Amino acid sequence: MAEATKSAAFLREYETVFLVKPDLTDDNVDKVKEKVRGIVGREGGKFLRFTIWGKKKTMYPVAKQPRAIYLHAHYLGKPALVAEIERNLRNFDEVSRYMSKKLGEHVDPETRQPQDDLKLAGDVDDNKPFGGAEREDFNADVDGSYDDDITPA
Amino acid sequence: MEKNYEKSGKGGDRGERGDKGDGDEKRGGRGFARRKVCRFCADKKIIVDFKDQSTLKYFVTERGKIIPRRISGNCSKHQRAIAKAVKQARGLALIPYLVLAA
Repeated sequence: MAEATKSAAFLREYETVFLVKPDLTDDNVDKVKEKVRGIVGREGGKFLRFTIWGKKKTMYPVAKQPRAIYLHAHYLGKPALVAEIERNLRNFDEVSRYMSKKLGEHVDPETRQPQDDLKLAGDVDDNKPFGGAEREDFNADVDGSYDDDITPA
Repeated sequence: MEKNYEKSGKGGDRGERGDKGDGDEKRGGRGFARRKVCRFCADKKIIVDFKDQSTLKYFVTERGKIIPRRISGNCSKHQRAIAKAVKQARGLALIPYLVLAA
């Protein structure tokens, strides 16, 4: 009996990355954040950390936009919580894409403390058109790195 | 995150040496190849993560295709992890599905 109640206290660790439209103001981004945080609280989960990766260029147009704001949520919860979060994200007009991933099982919520939200700068040169510069340096890096692994004929 | 792979790889570092386990370094009579070591096995600190664009792009071609194990030198365990991570990163537009020829 004691075993059963003990195992019920353990939660799973999840992360969800989602993309919101690039024209959203900081206030609106915060609103989305608070909604997600609210869902985690409501469903008996524990929210650990929000990281805003900032506005980044996407490698292909997402929702007809060349850029998107990336948000990363890290939380503990039960499987139903993920379904609930994803259902809500689907309904938010601002959210264009999302993906959740399980990071660990049997996590004791007491051992994890919530951390302050983090905000990263995102891409700095925001004026360049999509597909130009970042593809070039993408190629350059790949070339430099795996060439020496290929056996010369 | 590391846990995921620990769990799935029962054999530990079994796949590290690649296809030819006996360390046969001669290939098709065309010179000698340096034996490639899986970089994730060599350095346990590096973790396969779909969020880590800079690591993942070493494992895709400039066209956006996943580089085969035979060339990248990954062990099978980590190649599976890489393939999965690349596909997840593609879904979030962190890595392209394909790059058209200029």
